[in-house]
Amino acid sequence: MDDGSAPRAVDENQQADADNDCKLVARTLARLPNVVVSRTNMSMCSDSGQSIIEQDIKELGVNRVVIGACAPSLHEATFRQTVERAGLNRYYYHHVGLREQDSWVHGHDRILATEKAIRLMAAGIAKARLLEPLEAIRLPAEKHALVIGGGVAGLKAALAIARRDMRVTLIEKTPFLGGRMAQLERIFPSGEHARTVLGGLIHEVADHPRITIHVGTQLTSISGYVGDFKIQLTKQSRGVTPEQAEQLMDCCSQYVPDEFNYGLTQRKVIYRPYDGCYPSLPAVDWEHYDGSPITCGSERIVLKNDPETLDLSAGAVVVATGFNPYEPAAGEYGYGVIPEVITLPQLIRKLALLEAGASLEINGHPVRDIVMLHCVGSRQIEGVHEPQPDGQVNDYCSRVCCTATMYECIELKERFPEINLFDVHEDIRTYGRGHEEFYRQTLEDGTVMLRYQGENPPVVEALPSGDSHPLVVRLRDRLTWGEEVEVPADLVVLAVGMMPRLVNDLVEMLKISPGKDRFLLEVHPKLRPVETSVSGVVLAGTAQGPMSIQESAAAAEAAAAKVACLLSQGRVELEPFVARVNPELCEGTGACVEVCAYENAISLRTIRQNGSEKRHAVVSPANCSGCGNCVSACPHGAIDVQGWTLKQFDAMVDGLAIDMFDVLEVEK
Amino acid sequence: MVLDTYDALVVGGGISGMQSALDLANQGYRVALVERSESIGGKMIQLSKVFPTLDCCSCITTPKMSAVAHHHGIQLFTYSEVQQILEDSDGFHVDILKKPRYVRDDLCTGCRQCEYACPIYVPNPYDLELSATKAVRVPFSTAVPQTAVLDIENCLFCGKCEKACPVDAIDLAQAPEIKHLRATTIVLATGYEITQRDAKAEYGAGRLPNVIDGLMMERLLAPTGPYGRVLRPGDGKEPESIAYVQCAGSRDETLGVEYCSRVCCMYAIKQAMLISGSLPLADITIYYMDIRTFGKGYEQFYQNARTMGVEFVKGKVASITQDENQNLVLRLEAMDGKPEVAERTHDLVVLSVGMLPQYDPKTLYAVSPAEDGFVQQPSPNLAPSLTDRHGIFVAGTAAGPMDIVDSIVMAGAAAASAAGYIEERLMRTNEQVPESPVMEVTHG
Amino acid sequence: MSMETKNHNTKILILATLSGGYAGADSVGQLHVDYAPNTYILPVMCPSMFPEDFYLRAFERGMDAIIVMYSGTDSPYKGGPERTAKLINGTYERMKTLGIDTRRLRLTAICTVCTKPFLKEVQQMNSLLEEIGPVRSDFSKKSEESIVS
Repeated sequence: MDDGSAPRAVDENQQADADNDCKLVARTLARLPNVVVSRTNMSMCSDSGQSIIEQDIKELGVNRVVIGACAPSLHEATFRQTVERAGLNRYYYHHVGLREQDSWVHGHDRILATEKAIRLMAAGIAKARLLEPLEAIRLPAEKHALVIGGGVAGLKAALAIARRDMRVTLIEKTPFLGGRMAQLERIFPSGEHARTVLGGLIHEVADHPRITIHVGTQLTSISGYVGDFKIQLTKQSRGVTPEQAEQLMDCCSQYVPDEFNYGLTQRKVIYRPYDGCYPSLPAVDWEHYDGSPITCGSERIVLKNDPETLDLSAGAVVVATGFNPYEPAAGEYGYGVIPEVITLPQLIRKLALLEAGASLEINGHPVRDIVMLHCVGSRQIEGVHEPQPDGQVNDYCSRVCCTATMYECIELKERFPEINLFDVHEDIRTYGRGHEEFYRQTLEDGTVMLRYQGENPPVVEALPSGDSHPLVVRLRDRLTWGEEVEVPADLVVLAVGMMPRLVNDLVEMLKISPGKDRFLLEVHPKLRPVETSVSGVVLAGTAQGPMSIQESAAAAEAAAAKVACLLSQGRVELEPFVARVNPELCEGTGACVEVCAYENAISLRTIRQNGSEKRHAVVSPANCSGCGNCVSACPHGAIDVQGWTLKQFDAMVDGLAIDMFDVLEVEK
Repeated sequence: MVLDTYDALVVGGGISGMQSALDLANQGYRVALVERSESIGGKMIQLSKVFPTLDCCSCITTPKMSAVAHHHGIQLFTYSEVQQILEDSDGFHVDILKKPRYVRDDLCTGCRQCEYACPIYVPNPYDLELSATKAVRVPFSTAVPQTAVLDIENCLFCGKCEKACPVDAIDLAQAPEIKHLRATTIVLATGYEITQRDAKAEYGAGRLPNVIDGLMMERLLAPTGPYGRVLRPGDGKEPESIAYVQCAGSRDETLGVEYCSRVCCMYAIKQAMLISGSLPLADITIYYMDIRTFGKGYEQFYQNARTMGVEFVKGKVASITQDENQNLVLRLEAMDGKPEVAERTHDLVVLSVGMLPQYDPKTLYAVSPAEDGFVQQPSPNLAPSLTDRHGIFVAGTAAGPMDIVDSIVMAGAAAASAAGYIEERLMRTNEQVPESPVMEVTHG
Repeated sequence: MSMETKNHNTKILILATLSGGYAGADSVGQLHVDYAPNTYILPVMCPSMFPEDFYLRAFERGMDAIIVMYSGTDSPYKGGPERTAKLINGTYERMKTLGIDTRRLRLTAICTVCTKPFLKEVQQMNSLLEEIGPVRSDFSKKSEESIVS
């Protein structure tokens, strides 16, 4: 063996009943060349487990460590630190994923699962023999973060990062800050007014000397890596100047549905979404503006959008792109077909638009009986609910709708005591602090509770005109032991769930991934709950999953803490898994440069050697991604990716191919 | 007396406290972490597997414990309690009582020779007294630090441990020690208690041996658990029919606990799935009011359990009694059956107990509790980690029931708020602040 | 859901990207879905590093099939997926020359949550191996041919 290296194999498996299998694997591995010690341990990752490794390194002179355990994404970093503490280079460690890829998936055949473990570990040990000491790449980091999304999560994240003495650029796609929270009125659990609370936050953000805000702005390209992302933004024109804005808004005659009121009202294409919005200067809705001139007295003014490009560098990116309320399909519970069916967000806007003391009407009729219907677009079941256009059903719970519905029931009863409320649900999930009280209050208010079984959802139908009510809700009610119940109603309110905003282009640019539920995916819900698989890109708020305002704010601050951990020292460390040229083998063919897609990652240099000139390839580690395109291209085998060399892979294949008869102990 | 200055003091070494400490220390701050019990890890380290990923719990917890223990920016004070917090213009002055372990932590190597030599068996708190341990012991196999502790109340002073200890670490003369430290900010991560098993007379008031609580089931299911498998404690029989009684301690006005404890639905479902793995023939029924599987991936987890054959019955269990075979008779009105009071017999009942505040004015440290007994959040929507005391922040279940995922996020939020506070203080110090008198905040 | 297979003595080498197939295999693990254990997954950053010789050598060393589970269009590496596809195509040509059934080598995109596609790939490759047998049968056929010719 090259340097007398001595890999140490430890096999870990948490399954108590598989204890013997683990011991067999360990005994077998102990027979492989160079293996000094081979152990099993219930939890190698615990402090006591880690001490065993440190002790073996110090006392037995072990100089390579291989552990077979849970997925490397969970604990490879943990064990690299362990070996480092014991004085070994951290890259003298190799991790084999035996839990997710073996013991959890081959339960039907323990013998073959054990064989697989032995072969995978043999491969790991084979690689370990060829491991080389590596040093992390240390690069200066911009103490500057880009926050994408100007809703409550983005605002909170921006403020928390700025307070930590770092610069922030906050971008918002629409011309105004505030996001979905601005569309709410009173918010649970505190009863505060949404836009008042939000306004305070916006002004803290806007006044902060280290925060730059760009509204009407989107990310258009990003490259680089944690610590130094090169970012390009595109910013739409405001379209109006402070001097002419009010007049132009008055003169403007083009109307579009107002998304702030979920289409219940119309607004002009030059607009402010609400009084007290930020920035207060109106903006042009370029998406809907038809380009026709606006006539103001004798003047005819054509509005011009002249998007501006901004370039900046940032050390980290916070994705706070938020959610959309679920948009029911046409005809889903009568939505879009029966005018008396609206969504809960629409009801909130409708009530906000209604003058104090006015009675609640729909379609010109007074409202006497309201059915609140839960879980629309949430907890959907395949085969029961019609899939959405992309073929998916939302099988998740949207967290906030139950409490939001109870909260709205209370408001309805307060404002219109004569109205009868019927709450149709599968479960009531008022889980949050203080939320149970809203449930109790709703019951005390006399709201009738009706409960269906998920597989058997209620049906909403229009009644013939002339009937006492415009529509009826039918369900089999579990609270009355399965009685078929009919509730005639004047208004049906659909408590719609949350869907992530569609940010496919952003996801693609950032190279992050959505989960099965389409929300952006964290690395691990407990170990790395706000991080994505791309180092330096973190998640905040409802882009990651349904959350309440409180939960979004907490998640945003957690994201800010992560950004601070990454950047506050002003430098980042990157894995050294980049290409490396062996100058003795390199003939300067340039094949590597040809296949490399990264700017300035590899280049040819002319070097004078013993009087003669020689061309050979040189790698710039900060720009190299470690993809290995150059490795397969080099006709002389002169390039390798550090830590992932071809020789190591060949050795791993040999490890997988070991003859079991050579290594297995023969039972006497 | 040691006088030490820290940027932040984190009170509580459970998952939230550890996460807050790590999130602060990784930003370069100096952190003191005070934990009341012998080891950090909190309640989480006692759990079997965690929902919804079914990762083994120690796989998530122990590396964090280890990271805390080895972090050069974190000073750990275990088996220590905060006695007093004073505040002046420099920040907080904190007295910490280091309780005597009767084992010298500077010498003990965690070799457990004392434990092997000790003749006294005592109920093991780590296994919720389902197993026995010794009067002198390393608290549990994955404890951090791996330092033994001697239970002086049960010690016979036979001297066997002193003889067995290879490094002479046993020190029966050890006295409590007061440490004084200064910190710019404080994060409270004092955690929760579970509903006591004897809280409800209708459920046997803790006298029925085969009525256990959810945390005891966690121990039975844990690979390091007392029996290594699921057996009912009354007679060691392998249970064939297991019932979960949901909301046993939450949403219950008779107990004065009107809130939802948020985790019980998910842990019951998780345990049901784990039991079906270890006892494939056992029938499992979950009696519930509402199933609240609201977190990311939780609803799908619930639906999986239904597919696996776990029975969900809507109905509040009114009472539990025991028959002559130690089996348990549950009386309830099941919503999915006929409109009548039904009796169902099971051979093991798990009470899905809820979370209670660690109500101890001393551990609340000058911040006010809300009506529910948890730390008040004066700005619940936009600044959930804020308390009513400037400079003191709250993380995790000290601010009300929450699961591990939410606790970890909350802990990150508290760390961010605390970091912002530290930076503001630093700026103000640079601008010179007039001396303010030392003010007493609380007494131990 | 058991995937009983007769391929007890065959080995499928799976080269899976950390950003794709390897994470996808971990997702399958988290679901605890059983599949055939003759599957040996090695993590790779991007398979564009493997020259054609690497695959041929692996077949020689007794890998009966190789599935390259790359990240396809989701790859974090610029130009990596295209180059991988090109190298695999080149390998097919050389496999033909050597008499190795080209179906033994497969390139497929697997994402981090692609659990069903992962299981399908494994099952399909195993069905194929049941049909065409271990790789040494290809080598022996070839050597018979060379003796004849």
